[in-house]
Amino acid sequence: MNAVDLSVQIGRLKLKNPVMPASGCFGYGEEYAPYYDLSRLGAIVVKGTTADPCPGNPPVRLAETPAGLLNAIGLQNPGAVAAAAKINKLGALGIPVIVNVAGHSTEDYCRAVRILETESTASAYELNVSCPNVASGGMAFGTRPETTAALVKKVRALTDRTLIVKLSPNVTDIVAIARAAAEAGADALSLINTLLGMAIDIKTRRPVLANLTGGLSGPAVKPVALRMVWQVTSAVEVPVIGLGGISNADDAVEFMLAGATAVAIGTANFRNPYACPEVIDGIAGYLRHNGFASVTEIVGLAKKERPGGEHGAGKTDYCP
Amino acid sequence: MPVGDYRIKEIRKVADGIFRLAFAGNMEAEPGQFLQVAVGRTHDPLLRRPLSIHDCVDGEVVLLFHPAGRGTNLLAEKKPGDSLNVLGPLGKGFPLPAGQTAVLVAGGIGIAPLFYLAKVLKGAGKEIVFLAGARDTGSLYIPPELPALAADLRFTTDDGSAGRRGLVTEELPAILDRIKGEVYACGPLPMLREVARIARNSGVPCHVSLEARMACGVGACQGCTVAAVAGDWQKYKRVCVEGPVFGSGEVIL
Ligand SMILES: Cc1cc2nc3c(=O)[nH]c(=O)nc-3n(C[C@H](O)[C@H](O)[C@H](O)COP(=O)(O)OP(=O)(O)OC[C@H]3O[C@@H](n4cnc5c(N)ncnc54)[C@H](O)[C@@H]3O)c2cc1C
Ligand SMILES: Cc1cc2nc3c(=O)[nH]c(=O)nc-3n(C[C@H](O)[C@H](O)[C@H](O)COP(=O)(O)O)c2cc1C
Ligand code: FES
Repeated sequence: MNAVDLSVQIGRLKLKNPVMPASGCFGYGEEYAPYYDLSRLGAIVVKGTTADPCPGNPPVRLAETPAGLLNAIGLQNPGAVAAAAKINKLGALGIPVIVNVAGHSTEDYCRAVRILETESTASAYELNVSCPNVASGGMAFGTRPETTAALVKKVRALTDRTLIVKLSPNVTDIVAIARAAAEAGADALSLINTLLGMAIDIKTRRPVLANLTGGLSGPAVKPVALRMVWQVTSAVEVPVIGLGGISNADDAVEFMLAGATAVAIGTANFRNPYACPEVIDGIAGYLRHNGFASVTEIVGLAKKERPGGEHGAGKTDYCP
Repeated sequence: MPVGDYRIKEIRKVADGIFRLAFAGNMEAEPGQFLQVAVGRTHDPLLRRPLSIHDCVDGEVVLLFHPAGRGTNLLAEKKPGDSLNVLGPLGKGFPLPAGQTAVLVAGGIGIAPLFYLAKVLKGAGKEIVFLAGARDTGSLYIPPELPALAADLRFTTDDGSAGRRGLVTEELPAILDRIKGEVYACGPLPMLREVARIARNSGVPCHVSLEARMACGVGACQGCTVAAVAGDWQKYKRVCVEGPVFGSGEVIL
């Protein structure tokens, strides 16, 4: 069996393989540690962490939808100080630990990062810019290029650690926001976060989620996520972590062919606790089977025009 | 708590709206623990369904379920010989009573975990009072082994078509006046509230098994929370790991 090289680079992070769990779907790793050796992962991404402890939303927080899941957890987390202790324990795994950072004001994000800078050994931050910004009437930071760039600049000034910006798909032009984040100093981008959605119980005639709306994830969102990864990787130079509906290695390979340097797996863990290691093995199998020596060879490969092919690399418009 | 494929040995309807499913396998499970059952192999339905362990003997695990929606209806269509993908046992089960007597209160499908509890308590030499309530005689399921396990077994139906007519909780105050046993309950939320209230008035400990919508079942997603009584930032507890069994004073029912 030929060894294939699965390693990739995200900012300053060297990942031995391109697979990591998605934020909020893997706790602080503790819950999945009994299932397999977590040091097999390319990196670990822990849940959304805020400066202060956050109790989260009242129940009901989940609703299953066709091939999808709506969640409105409300960022339940113990706050940056307590999270740092959990993050530092993960250091023993010897893999990069990426901390998803959230807040409702620029100062919230900065405070969380300042605490994590001094208290934690985190390798990187993933800024979750899908949170409503109290200062702009609850509009999410990541819905406008200017507010995204302003936030990224502020956080960039606080850290030399790898800075990843996690983009929201609930926008009209994700490419503009991706560019703004990259220009403001992001080392990498991750996309997509959940798509805003809703479910109503026809028996009680009330929304299922106590929060009324929630974020859609799972196989249902995969085509949307894939399209956005294609568009963003066509427009920016920084590496992209692709996610949204990846359930198996075939899905992961699709994202990499679209241009993602690495992939993250969220909802699929809930159905299959072994989803991440199975995807790692499956990617290696795909590369071997198709004669690739390194995973980086397939990144963006679907965009390369083939002789006689009709694929326009830049063309992602569509008229129904 | 691994993931495994098991072979279904038997599946049959045992009462109106109640199926009993037995699969071959060996598990070490506490009463009150549950399994996350994959009802299909495709993306839809996406999530596993949490179901309590109804019985667990050498080489066999039994579920008792009410087809309540899409997932459990698909499960009811399974046939002997089919394989069943299961994650578990999961969660924290019922603690043993400190004293000699336990009073078990089951509403409807709530009998699923309480039957297994009765078996384990009997094995530990405890005396059991078992109250089972159902809508009517058709939907009342009393597992054949139960009468031998419970020193005192009583049942109630809403319409009086079997046992006493009324609510399963109505006899509880008198029973607790007499024996001061520890209370264990599983059933609809209004029933659990009433059981908890009666137990509190009688000054006996009360353990309730709760339901919540779940995604991961292992504590990773924070989706299955119930409001906790504790005062710190941790306003919510996860039913899948801190429960599904809670002391009735720990949570806001
Ligand atoms: C710890 C635990 C143990 C349980 N034990 C049993 C048992 O032994 N026997 C039994 O019949 N039922 C039991 N339930 C309830 C059972 O899980 C639900 O009836 C079932 O998930 C409904 O799924 P569905 O697809 O048929 O219904 P749908 O309404 O189509 O389900 C849609 C979604 O809502 C969730 N959901 C709907 N109702 C419930 C509910 N009451 N509790 C939790 N999730 C729900 C489903 O899991 C699914 O994600 C238990 C629940 C929990 C949490
Ligand atoms: C239960 C749950 C909690 C989540 N929590 C967070 C979070 O704290 N921060 C964040 O950036 N994304 C969060 N997400 C979004 C995921 O990280 C991911 O972007 C999204 O679910 C799409 O990927 P998937 O389809 O593989 O799940 C959460 C998703 C789910 C389902
Ligand atoms: S179901 Fe995920 S935390 Fe309980």
